[in-house]
Amino acid sequence: MAKFGKEFAKGIIISNPVFVLALGLCPALAISNSIDNALGMTLAVLIVLLGANVIISLIRRFVPDITRIPIFIVIIATLVTVVNLIFHARFPDLYESLGIYLPLVVVNCIILGRAEAFASKNPIINSIADALGITTGFMTALLMISFLRQMLGTGSMEVFGIHFFDLPVLKDHPIVMFILPPGAFLIIGLLMALFRRTGVLK
Amino acid sequence: MQAKDFWKKAYPVIILTAVVAISVTALTYTDRFTRGEIEAQMEAETEAMLSEMFPEMSRYEFANDIYTIYSDGERLGYAFIATGKGYGGNIDILVGLENKDTIKDITIISNEETPGLGTRITEPSFTNQFKGLNIGKVALREEGGEVDAITGSTISSAAVIDAVRKAAQEKVSLIEEGQDG
Repeated sequence: MAKFGKEFAKGIIISNPVFVLALGLCPALAISNSIDNALGMTLAVLIVLLGANVIISLIRRFVPDITRIPIFIVIIATLVTVVNLIFHARFPDLYESLGIYLPLVVVNCIILGRAEAFASKNPIINSIADALGITTGFMTALLMISFLRQMLGTGSMEVFGIHFFDLPVLKDHPIVMFILPPGAFLIIGLLMALFRRTGVLK
Repeated sequence: MQAKDFWKKAYPVIILTAVVAISVTALTYTDRFTRGEIEAQMEAETEAMLSEMFPEMSRYEFANDIYTIYSDGERLGYAFIATGKGYGGNIDILVGLENKDTIKDITIISNEETPGLGTRITEPSFTNQFKGLNIGKVALREEGGEVDAITGSTISSAAVIDAVRKAAQEKVSLIEEGQDG
């Protein structure tokens, strides 16, 4: 159980996927312009990463080294498509809100990265802990980035239609650049610099 | 010795083939089990959207990509889906026609525009401008039309306007052809 906790915790700070491993930056940049999007993407990553880590950990003894990458990719792509179809058929509301994120997860290198670096070498329980930890780390990073981008780029804070606050000047004159791609690069860069300067990350 | 070598070389190929075979089987069966439900789902969605646009609708017919809306045998209008190229990707728009000249209403079905900017094309303050508009007047005000673009989202607004006008002209000529023949 101690091991489970350790594998879970490392994903949040020591191997934070966005700020430390710099994995999955593509969806992190593309989708982090609002809190809604950040949470949707997190849910999609959770489902697929958990599934991929479990399957790959289960078959790790049979996977030959030389063809492991194509095998992982086929498994991940299949998983995403199956989940996508089942959601579309059975959970239309969830599909509606996750519709754009799920297909994006295929190209999210966090999934392949964890399959390669962790699940293919570790037992199933630890792989589950790893998936949960990495997802939590991903969510933490996305929430920080999207909070700043949404606030600066739209001047108000709204999550799932619930209105939280408006900023005085920014509400009427939002810095639009922050919800566009350049804003994502700036915010991620500034956050990384801040975390390193303050010693949160090494 | 040679046989052992062969198996060593063949093993990765066999495993990869097996994984792909399992994957194909899983995909085929999932598709088979979900297809019916997905189609029913989409049809229900379309019907909900159409009846929101034409509240008196009792049934509709679908042919040549055009929905013809009826209420107890009386024709209420037409609807079709227009696709525009926006700033972030395709924009799908459901366009309702009152008759061959006038737009009833439009609904943005899906878009990949910039959240907070381009996505404002879905707001009533933009789409309401199309209500009761003559097809010939579907253009930006600067270009002789009667639609105002959203400040800061000119590309998304223009994409919707152009897609609606082009599709409307095309479908109207199709409808007229159908009636002549």
